[in-house]
Amino acid sequence: MQESFLSFLGENLQLFLTYTGVYNVTPGHLIMIAVGLLFIFLAIRYEFEPMLLIPIGFGILIGNIPFKDAGLQIGIYEENSVLNILYQGVTQGWYPPLIFLGIGAMTDFSALISNPKLMLIGAAAQFGIFGAYIIALQMGFEPNQAGAIGIIGGADGPTAIFLSSKLAPNLMGAIAVSAYSYMALVPIIQPPFMRLLTTKKERVIRMKPPRVVSSTEKIIFPIIGLLLTCFLVPTGLPLLGMLFFGNLLKESGVTRRLAETARGPLIDTITILLGITVGASTQATQFITLNSVKIFGLGALSFVIATCAGILFVKFFNLFLKEGNKINPLIGNAGVSAVPDSARISQTVGLEYAPTNYLLMHAMGPNVAGVIGSAVAAGILLGFLG
Amino acid sequence: MIKKKTGVLLSLMLLCSIGAQAQLVTSMRINEVLVINEDNFVDDYGKRNGWIELYNPSAGTVNIGGCFLTDDKDNPKKYPIPKGDVLTRIKPRQHALFWADGVASHGTFHLNFTLDPDKENYIALYDADGRTLVDEITIPAGQQTDISYGRRIDGQDEWGYLEKVTPSTNNLTLDTNEKMDNFKQNDAIGIGMTLTAMAVVFLGLILLFLCFKGVGKAAISASKRRAEKASGETSGKSGGDVSGEILAAISMALYELDEDVHDIENTVLTIQKVKRNYSPWSSKIYGLRETPRK
Repeated sequence: MQESFLSFLGENLQLFLTYTGVYNVTPGHLIMIAVGLLFIFLAIRYEFEPMLLIPIGFGILIGNIPFKDAGLQIGIYEENSVLNILYQGVTQGWYPPLIFLGIGAMTDFSALISNPKLMLIGAAAQFGIFGAYIIALQMGFEPNQAGAIGIIGGADGPTAIFLSSKLAPNLMGAIAVSAYSYMALVPIIQPPFMRLLTTKKERVIRMKPPRVVSSTEKIIFPIIGLLLTCFLVPTGLPLLGMLFFGNLLKESGVTRRLAETARGPLIDTITILLGITVGASTQATQFITLNSVKIFGLGALSFVIATCAGILFVKFFNLFLKEGNKINPLIGNAGVSAVPDSARISQTVGLEYAPTNYLLMHAMGPNVAGVIGSAVAAGILLGFLG
Repeated sequence: MIKKKTGVLLSLMLLCSIGAQAQLVTSMRINEVLVINEDNFVDDYGKRNGWIELYNPSAGTVNIGGCFLTDDKDNPKKYPIPKGDVLTRIKPRQHALFWADGVASHGTFHLNFTLDPDKENYIALYDADGRTLVDEITIPAGQQTDISYGRRIDGQDEWGYLEKVTPSTNNLTLDTNEKMDNFKQNDAIGIGMTLTAMAVVFLGLILLFLCFKGVGKAAISASKRRAEKASGETSGKSGGDVSGEILAAISMALYELDEDVHDIENTVLTIQKVKRNYSPWSSKIYGLRETPRK
């Protein structure tokens, strides 16, 4: 009796052991957990995009707790598990438009409206997307996969997730983590290329202070912006529609509560859900592949191309501008839509060479134009390859 | 005034409801028809009969319960599709198959008429009012055995004999991803895509640029006019000796003051007033017993 009880207990303990993380762990899980810890460290120690890296980093930890695949509905890829239900917002692509609603409600387009030619810098920086697209094609990716990878160069996490969920869902985890990681690393990636491609004389160009923009212009902007861009690229509607709608809530002046909700609790909630589920989607068994490594490489390259394209475009543009109207090429990097980080970098690098030359407001122009540009580019890729 | 507002609101609601209706039953299409079924699809009773496939091309679920199917122009209400059957709710881009076996008692999807293989067959779908024609088609006489007649692409206008018989599914199925193959064949390097896409991105932002250049000019001249009007000046001078830098410094100082940016600084003691919102839950007034009045 006692013996059979002990053997029963032993068998149960043995069975329980097979369910533990310790029993199911693989080197892949440990690597991913280390990556998650690195993200959390970078976010807390160096404050690299903590709002993104903390949820994603912790999500990576959650997603890489090893477990026995016994249909317990705990993994993010198991249908109807809690994480899987939350992940639907990513796979079905409805988190990104809600994030764009919040971005619209918190973005001040005044810098762009006061100096609309800065919009063209935002367009030029989109070369990063298509440069990476060309290279990805040469590396053997299918056109739809190459398009999804290229969008990392737009430096816009929600857009990258939205497009990859439509074009290449199997690469979405790697693309999302890559996009957010490089957005956090913008302060490291961009400055060397900004210095490399500009002369000392160019770096101290002082731009005219932006004029005061009337509230009527601010109200007109989202309406005309939506009509012009979406009539041209209707596939960009989910992102651009929500971006401009959020901005109208902000600028109309009569929907303050809605604007505050969109740029406050709503965007915070979605950011938490998006970050944690994107992080958890990097389950080692699905994530550690050669393709993920290639995507990380291409992501870095696309950021570099986008930065260089923005700066070189400003230099080219300056050839046609009169003295006094010239643009400081240090704001060219801000054409990537990592708002407002890349604009801050323009300011920091600019101050190194001219301590009273404040470029932040000027850089915000191409920065927000980059948001519009990358959403338009995503719409085009979706239209062509979707 | 209130009446006027109510009228506008009601008109808008009416317009919206008309738009919503357009998205519903009226969007349904007769999609594919098989008249002679000898060696093809069988129904739930193991019988082979002609069939009619309906297609919902809209983005919303459509309930066709209460609508009518007919093969008689003079009798639009010949077969009323039963209401309350969950299967009559057709999901977006999905199909419903009706058996033309003449035995309506076999269920919702069994019609009370058959298709005649010797002559042309008129088929129509009417809305629940029995008067609004949703879709109609005349299937030519001389149909071939086990070859269906349908729209080449689901919901689109071109009809013909289909290569594959596709009951309850798409009329056109692709063996390859034509779009991708096209790209791989004609734009292997990606230059075409890059040039096209960048041209569109630039075009979009150039249009915005031109538009806001115009808006900006109009706004500047309007503000000048307002300023002149306010000051009573007629000359075009834009007054003010204060430079942009000074204005920026003042704005920054006001911003910092407003946002309490410098509240916490190393080695500097600052005092911030702590303000607590009043709440009856924490109120002493409600927590204390009132002294009885005499």
